[in-house]
Amino acid sequence: MPLLELRNVRVSYGRVEALSGISLMVEEGEIVALLGANGAGKSTTLRTISGMMAPTSGEVVFAGQRISGLGPEKIVRLGLSHVAEGRRIFPGLTVRDNIMLGASNRRATRRELNADVEEMFALFPDIRPFADTLCWKLSGGQLQMAAVARGLTARPKLLLLDEPSLGLAPLIIQKVFEVIREIQRRGTTVLLVEQNANMALSVADRGYVLETGLLKLSGKASDLAASDEIRAAYLGGRAA
Amino acid sequence: MTVTTISSASNRVPKVPLFVLAGAIAIGLVLMLPLDGYTVSIIMQAATYAIAVLGLTVVLGYAGQITLAQAAFFGLGAYSLALGTLDLGLSFWVALALAVVVSGAFGAILGLTSVRLGGHYLAMVTISFQQIVTLVLTNWISLTRGPDGIAGIGRPSILGRELTSNVDYLIFSIVVLTLVIISVWKLKSSRLGRRMEAMRDNEIAASVTGVNVYLTKVISFTICAVLGGLGGALFASGFSYISPDQFSFAESIVFLTMALLGGVHSVIGTALGTLLLVLLPEMLRFLRDIYLAVYGLAVILIMIFMPDGIWGFVTLLSDKLFHRIAARRASAPLKLAKNETPSSAPVLEVETLSKHFGGVKALDNMGMTVSANEIHALIGPNGSGKTTLVNVLTGLYKPTSGNIRFNGETITGMAPHALAARGLARTFQNIRLFRSMTCLENVILGAQRPGNDLTPDGGNAEARALAALAFVDLLDRADDLVGDLPYGHQRKVEIARALAASPRLLLLDEPAAGLNSTEKQQLVELLQRMKALGLTILVIEHDMPLVEQVADHITVLNFGERIANGTPAMVLRDQLVINAYLGETHVHAAT
Amino acid sequence: MDIILQLTFAGIGVGSIYALVALGLVLIYRATNVVNFAQGDFPMMGAFILVVCLLSAGLPYWLSILLSLAGMVVFGAAFNLGVYYPLRNRSYLPVLISTLGASILVQNIILAFYGPQPANLPALLPFRGFQIGSVFLDPQYIVIIGVSALLVVLQYLFFEKTLLGKKLQATSQDKEMAGLLGIPVKRMIMLTFVYSALLGGIAGILVAPIIYFSITMGNAIALKAFAATIIGGFGDIRGAIIGGIGLGLIETFGAAYISVPYKDGFAFVVLFAFLMLLPQGIFGEKIAEKA
Repeated sequence: MPLLELRNVRVSYGRVEALSGISLMVEEGEIVALLGANGAGKSTTLRTISGMMAPTSGEVVFAGQRISGLGPEKIVRLGLSHVAEGRRIFPGLTVRDNIMLGASNRRATRRELNADVEEMFALFPDIRPFADTLCWKLSGGQLQMAAVARGLTARPKLLLLDEPSLGLAPLIIQKVFEVIREIQRRGTTVLLVEQNANMALSVADRGYVLETGLLKLSGKASDLAASDEIRAAYLGGRAA
Repeated sequence: MTVTTISSASNRVPKVPLFVLAGAIAIGLVLMLPLDGYTVSIIMQAATYAIAVLGLTVVLGYAGQITLAQAAFFGLGAYSLALGTLDLGLSFWVALALAVVVSGAFGAILGLTSVRLGGHYLAMVTISFQQIVTLVLTNWISLTRGPDGIAGIGRPSILGRELTSNVDYLIFSIVVLTLVIISVWKLKSSRLGRRMEAMRDNEIAASVTGVNVYLTKVISFTICAVLGGLGGALFASGFSYISPDQFSFAESIVFLTMALLGGVHSVIGTALGTLLLVLLPEMLRFLRDIYLAVYGLAVILIMIFMPDGIWGFVTLLSDKLFHRIAARRASAPLKLAKNETPSSAPVLEVETLSKHFGGVKALDNMGMTVSANEIHALIGPNGSGKTTLVNVLTGLYKPTSGNIRFNGETITGMAPHALAARGLARTFQNIRLFRSMTCLENVILGAQRPGNDLTPDGGNAEARALAALAFVDLLDRADDLVGDLPYGHQRKVEIARALAASPRLLLLDEPAAGLNSTEKQQLVELLQRMKALGLTILVIEHDMPLVEQVADHITVLNFGERIANGTPAMVLRDQLVINAYLGETHVHAAT
Repeated sequence: MDIILQLTFAGIGVGSIYALVALGLVLIYRATNVVNFAQGDFPMMGAFILVVCLLSAGLPYWLSILLSLAGMVVFGAAFNLGVYYPLRNRSYLPVLISTLGASILVQNIILAFYGPQPANLPALLPFRGFQIGSVFLDPQYIVIIGVSALLVVLQYLFFEKTLLGKKLQATSQDKEMAGLLGIPVKRMIMLTFVYSALLGGIAGILVAPIIYFSITMGNAIALKAFAATIIGGFGDIRGAIIGGIGLGLIETFGAAYISVPYKDGFAFVVLFAFLMLLPQGIFGEKIAEKA
């Protein structure tokens, strides 16, 4: 049984249909990359999985339970954590507090929380010096680390990552992706949305390519990375 | 040249004669019915209040600005008239003019504060103003006679007949009210009224369409205050006695409720609401003690269940029941204003432009040139600074440094409406239309941009707007509310609004976003027809197949810097560009 | 010099009341983006319950205070459910008007059942105050300043040191993200209203003995509290406290040295000046540019 399954999911923003029937699955322990050009529906797919949007039809099944329509507060308690687009770190709280609030989906004592935060700082040593800094003072890369750390503090079975490389310098991107591997090694399944296709496919086991609300391609990451169609999906026919 | 028949909810009944008729009937009833003195004075109160409440129709209903100080203006008018006639010895009519000028002047000052403030702050400023007026009326005893008020305020005479009888004065008030209703109703469909509504619906879209939003706000506050003052002056003269507690903050709330209850967007609703709330205490006499509590509850319930008031509710129902048929034709094909720029001369020149948000360099030392009659595409990955560039170009952001020239003129840092007046038009990534209006009304606002040369060939604004709608194949939807159109059509209406302004440069911010493949193909064709018309277009787009098909020239941004520039064939094969889109490095297994 | 000290003492006392109400206003604003125009009815309500328990029912002072606080919890919750919640997805204008309607409703229900006559409450402490040098310290003012200072400290500790406080902060900064982390957003907003009502109720209990209870007593307090928040920088907690105390001082000194009848006007003149010259207030952050 897959950990996550989308069955013919359709989603609309008002009159615009953003997803026109998406079916995909993520097996336990995998990193799956969801690729596609801007506006293809990648973020919408993640928002639908985490309950920020309700599908107009179709269903989302997580760990054997139908979760479509449940609402984000309930879904995150089932062990599905979403690191949303734009990082969405609370600017007026410290890095430590932000990470700690990632555990709002479960009961934990103060002592456990402190231990969790320490574990995150071990995983992301770059942000440890800023533990007690208010987050609006941080750079984009540091914010991204904090956001991923906050997502992991939920101890999810499945982590949804939305464009972790967005707006980051190449060296920082490298670091973020190394962390994604490490997350997988620790037993967390990852569904990764990326524009940076090459980077995403280099860490993923499998990939899906979206084009204007429909799945266009799917396959093993290595096969996708070798195909010309990926390039065409981003840059049009002439570039391929 | 298309003729179409459409059904629409827009109301084409000539209303002015109706209003005159309604006024005449009201006067007839007053003369014929044996009204007792008390009823006459109640109706007199309603008539004078209604004039003031119509001011709120303008500022709140049309312009979408909040004011909680209408009782203060009502009071300023009343005191100006009273003191003008009694202390200064002015005639009624001169004192009435004084009342209007005094309240109007204060209204303009209040409006000026809206230049810097909106929303809650503005509400707070108007409350402060209200409180200060109340304090001055109560405490400046040498001028206002303090809390005891002023008695013995006189009545005017018309054609040698002094309006001493209450019935005469009531008829006079009804005549004035009818005139005010007609003016406020006329204002709605005037150019100024449309601008107010555009500002209310979408301030940013209004400003890039050429509406000077600050000026429009000041004007709407002034009109509101003038009507408040006029109503107050008539009230003072009608009741011959005034005191500060009649013009308190609580009364401002009453005025506001009257407007909201009836329906703040329409004159009929406003008049209806006023009448109801003046009569209601009489009708609900049995509720005496809890009357005001019921009233407070009603305000909450109206907000929850009838946000457009009683009249809004009624018109919603009638729109569902009746459809009117109207025919629309575009008399001439769309033409652009004469373009003085020689072909291939630079229309837009951007030099060393930077825009920083705190430490983030959204644009960094960026340069580009758009030549006449080309389709120039601006592309780049998410977050590369494209939309920031458009917002700087159209005046929504002030650049940190750098220089922008438009047809040879330096335009760096100009306000959006000033740029619109120079022929810069744009559309938005997330469509910004004036939601309460029809397609045609939206496009007319575009055509009415300041500096649009309408007469030669172009005809009037409406003809030009119809031509623009025909150009995007939406003539048959001209009288539909824009919100009723599918998304793809709304994009086209936005383009038509920009086209109607005969732009010298058209900026399209992601016009293909959210379109399906058929609509995208139509967009390609539309872009090509626009180019054939002689337009210069700067298009920001993610859809590469579309860009490939239409662009003459591509500029690529990444991290706020220009990384490539040239023909599509060159740019799309550029390794830097490919890296920017697909990522440059493969991660190596962390060991 | 003595008179200045005396006025400063009184000014801080009055200002503390404004600050407490302003704090409640800011908390609701940060959690919901709504300015509650019925905020002044929180202190009025708190004082009213006290009046009923103490004067009409003849209960002891401490029990009356407890009942008043309990009443404010219920009132805050009811206010959220009846006035804010049904309109939570609408723009600020309908909600603003709805809170105005709530203010009329609450004041007139009390008017209808209790009548218009103001009530004089006994001071909390039974002695007549004392003299330090030439400065006379009224015990009620000492209580006001003491309780306010204590509340400010407790609130600081609550928001900065407890997880619940941080969840409340997170909710006010980004509701959607807070929900995504599993923070129960609706409950947080409810809590904010209840706490804000409590703060207002305490202000009312404290101030009623020095200004008489009347159904309109909250109006002036609320307007000053609004002014205080704007002067301090809208949405900022430090700003609300400093703005509140600042206004109390301005008003007290203005009344002493300029004019008594215009006492209530100084706040608004200062407010105008701030709005025109420093619209972001003392602590206000620059509003981010958006298009």
